[in-house]
Amino acid sequence: MASDVQPKPVKRKPIEWFNLKGKRVGFWAYVGMRLSAIGLVLYLFLHLAVLSQLAVGPTAWDNFVALAKSPIFLLLDVILIIGILVHGLNGIRLSLIGFGIGVPSHKLMLWLAVILTIVFSILSALAIFSETH
Amino acid sequence: MVEKQLTRERASSWSWILQAFTGIMLVVLLGLHMVVQHFVVTGGLRNYQQVVQYISNPFLFLLEIAFLIMVTWHALLGVRAIILDLGLNPATERKVTAFLSIVGVVVVAYGIWLSATIVAQGA
Repeated sequence: MASDVQPKPVKRKPIEWFNLKGKRVGFWAYVGMRLSAIGLVLYLFLHLAVLSQLAVGPTAWDNFVALAKSPIFLLLDVILIIGILVHGLNGIRLSLIGFGIGVPSHKLMLWLAVILTIVFSILSALAIFSETH
Repeated sequence: MVEKQLTRERASSWSWILQAFTGIMLVVLLGLHMVVQHFVVTGGLRNYQQVVQYISNPFLFLLEIAFLIMVTWHALLGVRAIILDLGLNPATERKVTAFLSIVGVVVVAYGIWLSATIVAQGA
């Protein structure tokens, strides 16, 4: 069972992330981790760039706030939260396994991460779209 | 050759531990960031006055900067891991690490400057 877990990272070029033939479920987690990582990095830099509007002044920021409450932005918020949940929950799982905690339960933890991602994504979507402006 | 192999493996476990550490910090700091910036705010996003009021609190200022440092570090370690998986030679890898380190310092400096600017505008 423990031999299912790779003891050290394997180098893979990005094109190999999409070669899913004959791969175990852990590989899907790896691909999900990498793709969500890229999305979150792009979001981080976009977010920091948008925050510069705060230095421009009150009107500039409040105009952005109005734009950010449009339905398309709210949908993007839900996608962002899904990305955070996929990456964060699987990240907790990888940290535990990396430090030798719960290694035999790695697959159970993966499914737990998937279920929690789905549950919290739905709750977040409901909260975001039911918020009164 | 053996020595180089060992060095590279030490380097990769060093970056893995940092990635895990900053990641765990982010679970807490991103959680706090989401709650204070969105969940407790009517309408889900602070207007200008609310941002000024928030970031003018010294404790919250430091909390957001700590969050920025952790998220930038974590993000750039991740970018580095993806780039190093391409299988570059050690000299190029060092250049990648140096470049991303500079990016990290610039991003954090920008965040501190921006936060301080907002506090000054509200004063």
